[in-house]
Amino acid sequence: MDQARPGRDILDRALRASWIAALALAAAVAPGRPRDAAAILAGQLLAFLHFIFLRKIVKLFTEGGRDPRLALAIGAKVVLVYGGLAGLITLGGVRYVPLCVGFALPFLTLFLKSIMLALGAGPASLTARRATETARSFGNAAKPAVFLLLLGAAVLLAFSALPGAALADEAAHGAPAAQEATATHHAEEGAAELPNWLVILHDFNPGNPVIDWLEKNQVIVFAWIAGLLFLLVSWLAMRKPKMVPGPFQNGVEWMVESMEEVCGGLLGPQIDKHFPLIGALFFYILTINMLGIIPGMKSATSSLDLTLALALITFLYVQFWGIRNLGILGYLDHLAGSPRDAIGWAMLPVMLPVHILGELAKPVSLSCRLFGNIFGEDTLIVVFVGATALLIKASLVALAVPPMAGITALFMMLQTLTSIVQALIFSLLATVYLYMMLPHEAHAHEEAHETH
Amino acid sequence: MLFPAALGLGLPLGIGLAAIGSGIGIGFLGKGAMEAMGRQPEILPKLQVAMIIGFGFAEALTIYAFVTMFFLQGRIG
Repeated sequence: MDQARPGRDILDRALRASWIAALALAAAVAPGRPRDAAAILAGQLLAFLHFIFLRKIVKLFTEGGRDPRLALAIGAKVVLVYGGLAGLITLGGVRYVPLCVGFALPFLTLFLKSIMLALGAGPASLTARRATETARSFGNAAKPAVFLLLLGAAVLLAFSALPGAALADEAAHGAPAAQEATATHHAEEGAAELPNWLVILHDFNPGNPVIDWLEKNQVIVFAWIAGLLFLLVSWLAMRKPKMVPGPFQNGVEWMVESMEEVCGGLLGPQIDKHFPLIGALFFYILTINMLGIIPGMKSATSSLDLTLALALITFLYVQFWGIRNLGILGYLDHLAGSPRDAIGWAMLPVMLPVHILGELAKPVSLSCRLFGNIFGEDTLIVVFVGATALLIKASLVALAVPPMAGITALFMMLQTLTSIVQALIFSLLATVYLYMMLPHEAHAHEEAHETH
Repeated sequence: MLFPAALGLGLPLGIGLAAIGSGIGIGFLGKGAMEAMGRQPEILPKLQVAMIIGFGFAEALTIYAFVTMFFLQGRIG
């Protein structure tokens, strides 16, 4: 049973990778600032020691009882790691930042490794152990969703800075007006949507920095709310999975299974491996979209930032699996349109850019489609609510409210439909892109058989 | 013609034109799917998935026009 310890195996790999990263980093810094390079290596060494001792302690602890070596190991760890850190900072005169970078490297590699593992990209000895039953796959889908959220939020932060700056540059024609331009941009955005609770909170508490920050990054806040809701539901449903499921577990399993069936019809047996991401995308987007129907909430997908982040994650995932399954050469061959004869090679200079452009257009079209649909629906509702408000202002209450409320309710039903369909389209297109990238001779054969 | 005026005329018109194209595309798709369903009701689930994906592609064209309008809308007036 050499596979029995995936946790330790992955720790070993992460530590090895972190040493390589630290050496590379130190080598890159060393010519200019040798002291910083030494600090990075020292930090890496301390973090390495931290993990080694931690593993020793955990091993002694789990293997049983009160071993005197346990106290020794804990003491040695505290003295070496924390004493070393404190000593280096106070006496050694090293700079703080490179030391922290070095110390953070093993943690970072461990984190990245676990993301890769959760996405099913780990070494075979680890991924083979993953449960593939449908009942569990929702729990599996929930785990990448957490990383999806983290990644999404990170990319989102980067991108929400970019378009704002670009717009400011475009509109400002000069540095001092930039702030004003972002302000008007913000106001313009605010006028096009119904106020949510964050905006209301912001209006009642002007100048509060926390609320200010939340209001400015409300897309992230609502994405996190939706993600937490999603995790809560999946946790509640799969907390104690039963053989004979109750109504709640049954409902969740039905949703997951029917979604897996739909995607499995496209992707074939490989769906087991990719359903965690695709299913998480579907349910996450669905939750976000549906959140917008609740008054005072907002669909985070009505911002291009979030949809672009999700589409980029899908894009990178598809390219990653393309390279992993086809190999670098096979991937390039796929991009070149698989030239096999003279005509194919002659068309290469045309086909290669076309294929690359086609790949790059995928995330753009994915993100714009989701954003445009959800934003359009939201705008539609805002227009009708605004018309109602105008009529109420003109004191035509009795005349205005019943038909307008009816129309708005109708459009909200339409919004529900759009939310489901768009989430479905996003995840189905992700499946289709994946299908186009993966080798699928068996499936194609089967299809050829059917058509005959 | 003034640039904002051109935008104010062109953007809604562009969306309308794009919607015509998407509408034709979705109509054809729906027609084909309905006919296929009538002939072979048992392929309904597979057909629906393909149909929805096709709708997504066709509809995306209007959405591009819509997004373009949204990005340029601020410069109308």
